[in-house]
Amino acid sequence: DALKSGPTAHQITSAMSRAAGPDLAEASEERRFLSTAEAAALERELLEDYRFGRQQLVEWCGHASAVAVTKVFPLPAVSRKQRTVLVVCGPEQNGAVGLVCARHLRVFEYEPTIFYPTRSLDPLHRDLTTQCEKMDIPFLSYLPMEVQLINNAYRLVVDAVLGPGVEPGEVGGPCTRALATLKLLSIPLVSLDIPSGMPGWDPETGGDAEDGLRPDVLVSLAAPKRCAGRFSGRHHFVAGRFVPDDVRRKFALRLPGYTGTDCVAAL
Amino acid sequence: DALKSGPTAHQITSAMSRAAGPDLAEASEERRFLRSAGEGDGRQEHDWKRAWRAWGARVSLTTLTLSTAEAAALERELLEDYRFGRQQLVEWCGHASAVAVTKVFPLPAVSRKQRTVLVVCGPEQNGAVGLVCARHLRVFEYEPTIFYPTRSLDPLHRDLTTQCEKMDIPFLSYLPMEVQLINNAYRLVVDAVLGPGVEPGEVGGPCTRALATLKLLSIPLVSLDIPSGMPGGGGCWDPETGGDAEDGLRPDVLVSLAAPKRCAGRFSGRHHFVAGRFVPDDVRRKFALRLPGYTGTDCVAAL
Repeated sequence: DALKSGPTAHQITSAMSRAAGPDLAEASEERRFLSTAEAAALERELLEDYRFGRQQLVEWCGHASAVAVTKVFPLPAVSRKQRTVLVVCGPEQNGAVGLVCARHLRVFEYEPTIFYPTRSLDPLHRDLTTQCEKMDIPFLSYLPMEVQLINNAYRLVVDAVLGPGVEPGEVGGPCTRALATLKLLSIPLVSLDIPSGMPGWDPETGGDAEDGLRPDVLVSLAAPKRCAGRFSGRHHFVAGRFVPDDVRRKFALRLPGYTGTDCVAAL
Repeated sequence: DALKSGPTAHQITSAMSRAAGPDLAEASEERRFLRSAGEGDGRQEHDWKRAWRAWGARVSLTTLTLSTAEAAALERELLEDYRFGRQQLVEWCGHASAVAVTKVFPLPAVSRKQRTVLVVCGPEQNGAVGLVCARHLRVFEYEPTIFYPTRSLDPLHRDLTTQCEKMDIPFLSYLPMEVQLINNAYRLVVDAVLGPGVEPGEVGGPCTRALATLKLLSIPLVSLDIPSGMPGGGGCWDPETGGDAEDGLRPDVLVSLAAPKRCAGRFSGRHHFVAGRFVPDDVRRKFALRLPGYTGTDCVAAL
């Protein structure tokens, strides 16, 4: 009958693949980073084969990024200044993740402010923007070039400007100028997926250390990218619990264990 | 400059409205409420209810539960005004439901049987939440099995089904009527058959038969949003009131989605959670809902 033959047979099969000896596991799961092309392929698999929606992926990444922020910068009981966060969003998917991150920071009782100079016309971006506006998250009309003003007003900055595969030259003047200002920050910087870079910066290799931002915290989305190998900041998280086991195995990724219901793991 | 005038001014304004003494907050709630009541936003409330709410807002009473109409209005506000997607809402609810399961039924280190969960999904939104819940239980290393007899053709449902299939979650082709088989095979059952506003008679034979079997369960039952009810059966079961105790399921755990519904007032099980962290403060205040205490980054709170 269905009860005895269906799930139990499946469970036996799963048990066999999970309990397979260390040889099998080690041989196939040695890699810790994805190239830009592989990251795109992994995302395509989630969207096309698994039929996840882009809205889902962006939501998981943004939520997990906000959770990572709470782990490194927990809310103090008292100080109001200590709750302020500046989230700088680019026009592509990394920026969408930033918008979601800002909204969840608001839910977690931080006080995010968004700088989103080059707005995408994409419906998902527009909806995410509306969600932030309706939740009373202020949008700055411009970012001061005087970095001390930013240092004074915010506890930390979230860099959601560029993701892997986006040429720094594509994002336009305001984002480029923002990145130039962020390079001079003295407050902590949290980069989503990869540290955003300047024109000429190569996301594959991490390029010349002069060109990219040097964040204190990196939140790798789905899995760490190549340039995470050069990350020298204090905290590296991976937000990849939503990646199904089979996909992780297919890309031969060795990733840390998540505890309980956590959506991020510290590397 | 933008930094001094923009966010700081806003922050001051926000700080004023948040930290304001009860008078200012209550007055602004009252204004907001009366304005919306006056605009006739289609909630179809009786005048006496509106007056009661206005008085309640003035004296900072909050309600604990939403009627079916109010729940629908809250959802409409999230979808139309806030531009959240239905995919987002269903995902938050399903994920939070899975988290609630882990809180009540934590994974033991050893026993395999203790990881098995049966998730029974109806054809409407409650069933979609069940599909998401099953997927997250899988991520949390439980072993869910889904019974989803009446499949919706809705693209969201189809995608959620594909996601579960791709993650190797088995779908039962039929549910045994012999309840002892279910008691033996699973540690608990998740009831995602009916949500508020769905007539039990709408969901078709297989779901109705499944509910009849679930009524006889001896293993724990977790209901999503409301305990699913039975059609007819000596006076129709009414999601508003919780109806005749004979007709609806009597779960051990209730996970209220967004906010508790009226029938949660009759809930007599062991654990009641609310999965409502995604409800923005302004919406919560508009519906005069009491804010449950969420800790840290938790998405569910125990009531």
